Amino acid sequence: MNASAPNMAGHIPAPVVVCHGLTKSYGSGEARTLALRGINLTVNPGELLMLVGPSGCGKTTLISVIAGILDQDDGVCELFGRDIAKMSPRERVLFRGKNIGFVFQAFNLVPTLTVAENVAIPLMINGIKRRDALARALWQLEQVGLGDRGNDLPTQFSGGQQQRVAIARALVHDPRLVVCDEPTSALDHKTGIRVIEMLKSLAVSDNRALIVVTHDQRIFSYADRIAQMDDGVIQATEENHHETRQG
Amino acid sequence: MLLGDKGKYLGIVSGIALASLLMIQQPSILFTMLSQTYSLITDISLPDIWVMDPQVNSTEDSRPLMDTAVYRVRGVQGVEWAVPLHKGSQTVRLADGELAGAMILGLDDATLIGGPGQVLSGTLGDLRLPDAVIVDENSAMSRLARHVRGQPPVPLKVGDTLEINEKRATVVGIARATPTFRSDPIIYTTYSKAKNFNTSDRKMVTFILAKAKPGEDPALVAKRISKATDLLALTAAQFKQRCLDFLFQHTGMLINFGFVVVVGFVVGTAVTGQIFYNFTLDNLRYFGVFKAMGTSNRTLLGMILLQALMVGVLGYGIGAGLSALFALSTHSGENIKLELGLPLLCGSGVAVLLIVLFAAVISARKVLKLEPAVVFKS
Repeated sequence: MNASAPNMAGHIPAPVVVCHGLTKSYGSGEARTLALRGINLTVNPGELLMLVGPSGCGKTTLISVIAGILDQDDGVCELFGRDIAKMSPRERVLFRGKNIGFVFQAFNLVPTLTVAENVAIPLMINGIKRRDALARALWQLEQVGLGDRGNDLPTQFSGGQQQRVAIARALVHDPRLVVCDEPTSALDHKTGIRVIEMLKSLAVSDNRALIVVTHDQRIFSYADRIAQMDDGVIQATEENHHETRQG
Repeated sequence: MLLGDKGKYLGIVSGIALASLLMIQQPSILFTMLSQTYSLITDISLPDIWVMDPQVNSTEDSRPLMDTAVYRVRGVQGVEWAVPLHKGSQTVRLADGELAGAMILGLDDATLIGGPGQVLSGTLGDLRLPDAVIVDENSAMSRLARHVRGQPPVPLKVGDTLEINEKRATVVGIARATPTFRSDPIIYTTYSKAKNFNTSDRKMVTFILAKAKPGEDPALVAKRISKATDLLALTAAQFKQRCLDFLFQHTGMLINFGFVVVVGFVVGTAVTGQIFYNFTLDNLRYFGVFKAMGTSNRTLLGMILLQALMVGVLGYGIGAGLSALFALSTHSGENIKLELGLPLLCGSGVAVLLIVLFAAVISARKVLKLEPAVVFKS
């Protein structure tokens, strides 16, 4: 899908993410390091944007700021038209819980909870009763092909299966933005392709955008747009034309 | 989450259980021993006032008074009655030839005031029979029982005879009495027969037991007795306190037992705090994930507190249970019988609560300060 294309009603939908002049530094004095140097970025609904670049170029810092878990030093980052820097800490936590899903490189499934309980976490954070949350979690696990394994522990799963559980957890509360940090780099080639295909098919929809941080070139072809980062700036953004992948 | 880490979970529960055990068991031993220092005063509940030599510091002290002191006390305004009580130690020869030290209580011949509250077999009045003594139940079944090698001891019973200071004594009753601090057998007899058993001492009155007239304040009457007789007169409560004060000042009991309790508290706090903190560090990534996904600090704090309280309650339950079993096991013996009072259980419960709260607070600080961006570090 073309990110800026009009939807079926003919309207151009509002962007999910608009960043303008974002800067972020770590440390102080001589040890101060600029991680982001004036980032401008827009992510539209229905788009899968990949942030690529060498290690230490600021990809993770950028998605941390976009996801509202790190404060920028300067610039504006709006999510769904709201400037997250202007929200109170409590408001930001609630906003994040409701609107953002996360997929991590290391899966980060709580090992002492069953996979259904892991998937149900975002729902319970949003105040859904445990019983309803678990029912919804099982449905979401079915979407990733693990509906019959809800009572198993994550340690009983392979890496690919754990990442599928993580995808289910990221999508279960129907967020409008899904942020993925190196979702395939801990997986072998075949499994990585299956995971990104699953992400593409389940996560990308008309009212949701997906930002994937990766340096895994095997999955670049699945992106709608690729933002090439280096040294804290976006060097280039290019549309990806992948008719064969999109079918 | 803590339940999933069995090693740490068991470590914390064990630490709290051990701390609870020490904080319950040691004070229970101390309190029981303390209560035994004034068990004589507790058991002899009829008199309001105890009169004694001014140098006497506890019921274990024996500084006899002249017989005439009783008459002087009776003459003080506000005294309803006053009777002598002899308390001494004698060696008792049992039927099988064994010797045992015993505490002899010589009661007023006319009134038998100072006798045991509960006579299990025989009657208190039987003490007026020739050579009659009543023996406490615990000693009758143990120290004064007849021991035949290879067989269980044969308890002393009514009709059996003993020798006290080479004088014949006939058991006419078995009574229930609180063990004394020294846990010696207690033998009740009359004042005149006590004189007969004790031929070496000229003065035999150890205490004078007095009752204030109805409407009179026993403390005021005690003061009047002290002033009029130059003897020390105390109410029962004052005398108990004097016994405790003496014990605290002249023994290291409070320090020794207190030290163990403090060690229990400190070790419990250190072990629990350390393991709980390590558990939090091990799971910091998951707390970060919860934070990133929108969990409030309040909810995270609640999670930590809930886990800390859960292990606290379980550890305390195990510690209190073990203490109760230990206390129960002492009830079948002849010596100290431990009691676990509600104030002791509540006090140790509060101490355990402080331990787990400390563990939770040091862990919570780490979690509350945690930057959720940590989740993106692989």
